[in-house]
Amino acid sequence: MLQVIKAEVLLAGMGEIKVARGMGVLGCIGLGSCVGTLLYDPMTGIGALAHVMLPEPHGEEAIDLPGKYATTAVPNLLKELGTPQYAWTRLKAILIGGAELFQNRQRTLQIGSRNVEQLHSLLDTLRIPIVFEDTGGRYGRSFELDIATGQLTMRMVGGVTSTYELARSLGMLAKAG
Amino acid sequence: MIAELSAFRQDALREIGNIGLGGAVTALSEMTGVNFRLEVPEVLELTTAQLRLVCPSEECLMAGTIARVEGDWQGEAAFLFPWHSAQVLWQVLTGSSPSDLSELNELYESALREVANIMLGSFLTALSQLTGFELHMEPPAFAADMSAALMSSLMVEAMYGQRELLTIETRFCVPERQFEGFFFYLPETGSLQKLFEVLNI
Repeated sequence: MLQVIKAEVLLAGMGEIKVARGMGVLGCIGLGSCVGTLLYDPMTGIGALAHVMLPEPHGEEAIDLPGKYATTAVPNLLKELGTPQYAWTRLKAILIGGAELFQNRQRTLQIGSRNVEQLHSLLDTLRIPIVFEDTGGRYGRSFELDIATGQLTMRMVGGVTSTYELARSLGMLAKAG
Repeated sequence: MIAELSAFRQDALREIGNIGLGGAVTALSEMTGVNFRLEVPEVLELTTAQLRLVCPSEECLMAGTIARVEGDWQGEAAFLFPWHSAQVLWQVLTGSSPSDLSELNELYESALREVANIMLGSFLTALSQLTGFELHMEPPAFAADMSAALMSSLMVEAMYGQRELLTIETRFCVPERQFEGFFFYLPETGSLQKLFEVLNI
């Protein structure tokens, strides 16, 4: 009997990092001010995703989760990918989330946009290009990326879904051809 | 963090939720003419696991407010309503309700902000009568989105503002209308100690 084998979905919870090697689906559910930060190595086909919550640690806070802060998530993602440092520039990045859900606050911490800024600056320094970004705004997002096909599905509240074919921008076609 | 709190102190926090929200729910009942039932508050570690208590799915639509509390017991106070329950409130308060997000407008947003204003106001009054604390609140801000996005944004704000990752969560409901609402208070670090000192426990 023919069975449809569904790719395993690896969901990164708050502060977590998940890794998919060659196949599988990486995703985050219900990103508000958090940012789903994904690095992909087109040479090895490995993708690593962090559910980043905050731009950087406060003082001497213990780092309990590797993906919790932008400043700890990026080095940990690089470690998970195992890409040699000289080849970091071949990596591709995806950023999703970083919204401000609650509007018209008298004093806002603007964590969403601070997360995004911090990640931009870290990736810029490493010269890792961001090939897809959907950040900011006042709405939450969920997404899943199929690491084998480069298909990205994004969901907003109320069942609004968008699909993007990112194989080319992630450098997958180059590898196949 | 909760393990560090004695059972007695946890009881005291629950009692604060009870007394504070008792008045708040009465205020809401007066405002709407609907009888709300208050359940026993829970003192919980603030984690995403709580989402399951609030909503059957992480992507289900909820509406809510958040307001900063200043003074002797600083923190963030939030009300969250599953969409259906928010619709019940809107129907009672404004005579109509948005069927989905696209129909949401300033009228509905301000109605929920007003609910939060009145309920939080009476929560803070009860709390300050009990403790002598001077407390005031900022105007509540509104959001409607996936439950997980709302909860995680609240949690992250609490972390960034150096809050205790602990919440006094209270559910209030109207069973015959399938209405339920949730109140969360996220106290700032150090403020719990202050509270226990004042209460002499």
